[in-house]
Amino acid sequence: MIEVHDVSKLYRRGVDLVHALEHVTMQIPRGRFVALMGPSGSGKSTLLNLLAGLDRPDSGEVVVEGEALSRLDEDALAAWRARHVGLVFQFYNLLPVLSAIENVELPLLLTDLSRGERRRRAEIALEAVGVPHRAHHRPQQLSGGEQQRVAIARAIVTDPDLLVADEPTGDLDAKSAVEILTLLRELNQAFEKSIVMVTHDPRAEAYVDTVIRLDKGVLVNGSDPHR
Amino acid sequence: MTYGRLVLRNLSRHPLRSLFTTLSIALSIFLVCAVLSLPSALAAILDKAVSNTRITVHHEAGLTYLLPASYVNKVRGVPGVAAVNHFTWFGGIYDEPKNMFPNFGIDPDTVADMWPDYKIDPAALRRFRAVRNAALVGEQTMRKFGWKVGQMITLRGTAFPVNLTFEIVGMIPAASGNPVVLWFHHKYLEESLQPRPGWPFSGFPFVGMVWVQVDRPEHVERVMRDIDALFHNSEAETAAETEKSFFQNFMSSYQGFIRVILGVGFLVVAAVVLIAANTSAMGVRERIPEIAVLKSLGFRRRPILTVLLCESMLQGLVGGAVGAAGAFFLFRALAAAGKTGGLGPLLGPLGSFYMSPATAMQGLAIALVVGFVSGIVPAWNGARLNVIDALRRLF
Repeated sequence: MIEVHDVSKLYRRGVDLVHALEHVTMQIPRGRFVALMGPSGSGKSTLLNLLAGLDRPDSGEVVVEGEALSRLDEDALAAWRARHVGLVFQFYNLLPVLSAIENVELPLLLTDLSRGERRRRAEIALEAVGVPHRAHHRPQQLSGGEQQRVAIARAIVTDPDLLVADEPTGDLDAKSAVEILTLLRELNQAFEKSIVMVTHDPRAEAYVDTVIRLDKGVLVNGSDPHR
Repeated sequence: MTYGRLVLRNLSRHPLRSLFTTLSIALSIFLVCAVLSLPSALAAILDKAVSNTRITVHHEAGLTYLLPASYVNKVRGVPGVAAVNHFTWFGGIYDEPKNMFPNFGIDPDTVADMWPDYKIDPAALRRFRAVRNAALVGEQTMRKFGWKVGQMITLRGTAFPVNLTFEIVGMIPAASGNPVVLWFHHKYLEESLQPRPGWPFSGFPFVGMVWVQVDRPEHVERVMRDIDALFHNSEAETAAETEKSFFQNFMSSYQGFIRVILGVGFLVVAAVVLIAANTSAMGVRERIPEIAVLKSLGFRRRPILTVLLCESMLQGLVGGAVGAAGAFFLFRALAAAGKTGGLGPLLGPLGSFYMSPATAMQGLAIALVVGFVSGIVPAWNGARLNVIDALRRLF
């Protein structure tokens, strides 16, 4: 369960204070595939960052699977992210000097797993996202869709409770975008992973359980995420 | 995938940049090793050239003051003295003023007794004794001017108002450690000095300094005391010292120069630190998005700092190893060439340049410090990046 209690977040822009989120309260049950939608500047990415433990609210609290994130210091939050969160970015953000499988192994460096076990899990993750044959290719040798699949493999390789994706189809052509949405849906259903995805892509609505809409930092469809 | 592999992969990101940075460190460490070796190289050259039973006697007031020629015989009578010779600086120039080199009037009869370690050809010594205008010339000077045994040469006097013509009768081997000198008969100089305008004297009843060969090393201290006591309260008091001490004092005038060289060497290192730091900072700036991703994946400050710092320290280590090993083996090869390849005269002092393994290790340590100092600030800045600020630069 992901719980957001009365969360507000302010940003300073020059001399002005901008409300990125204002008193947002919501709950996302475990295993849900949720899309955060809304116009640019509506606070989607800010909310996603708070759920992923990348940022802290100015007020209110975010609780993920019983862990109140605001009580964790910087290092503890990083350790929590490493164990419980998988991240997928719009531009994949794979390390260009590493091969696909090395990119997938990267988060496992933070675990106590042996070298062989890290490699085995990375192979399984690449298999799960359908690009095992591209394991030893560098990111620049892969198509956008393949890079995003590798990025998703990197996000799931630690078996996190929560997968957060920021515009995962934003840089893909229509066919690849559908493939990625299908893959995320399959991962959600097969492994019961909670997925929270920021997207502008209207096609995403067909793949998710819930759409949460935000506008100017406020939940548009209330605190009830269920349609 | 390991942290080590991540470091290596990051260094291979811009191979040319990494190569040039590493080479600049290697070159600076090469120079530092050479500079650090300078004092010990001078000491090695000195050790090679001096004898522990040879002493010099000169005027107490300094080398520019002359001693009466009569002192030579008086010194010969001191118990423990095996042989005596003397030097008088002629200051001769060959052809052009730039061709100045040490040339001395000496006693030809005691050269073999005074400098047995020079291993001068006995036939050359015999001829040196027999011919009034004979000269023995150091191997390096022979090569420098392309002189041959049997050749006649003329030196223009600067300390005396005469030009002297010599017949080269032999060579002083480079292995003697004294390969640039020219020796000729002191008497030949004396006979040349007849009264003329600006020079009212006939002959030259002085010597610049006296050389003494002591019969046994344990007598050296006592002989020096006896000689100084012999001329105590005389018109020209003397200062006797061992050959090693004499050359050390002579070389001490170069200490300031050596300090300048050392200073320049370390300024070179400082410049390389700045260059490497700039390269490192540039590398970190370029990788802010990647650092953001690592942080978002859960990498904390310490592993990121460690990876970034390891990159610059590895570059320092490799550069240092190349520079230190390069200097070590180059000087060793030069020394070997100087001994066996007949290149000694060509190499000059370089043939005696010795770099110890300890100096190579010092160079390596300095290279590691260069790597650390150049990497620490960019690495620290990269490691303490705020994850959200860094991620914003991603989008």
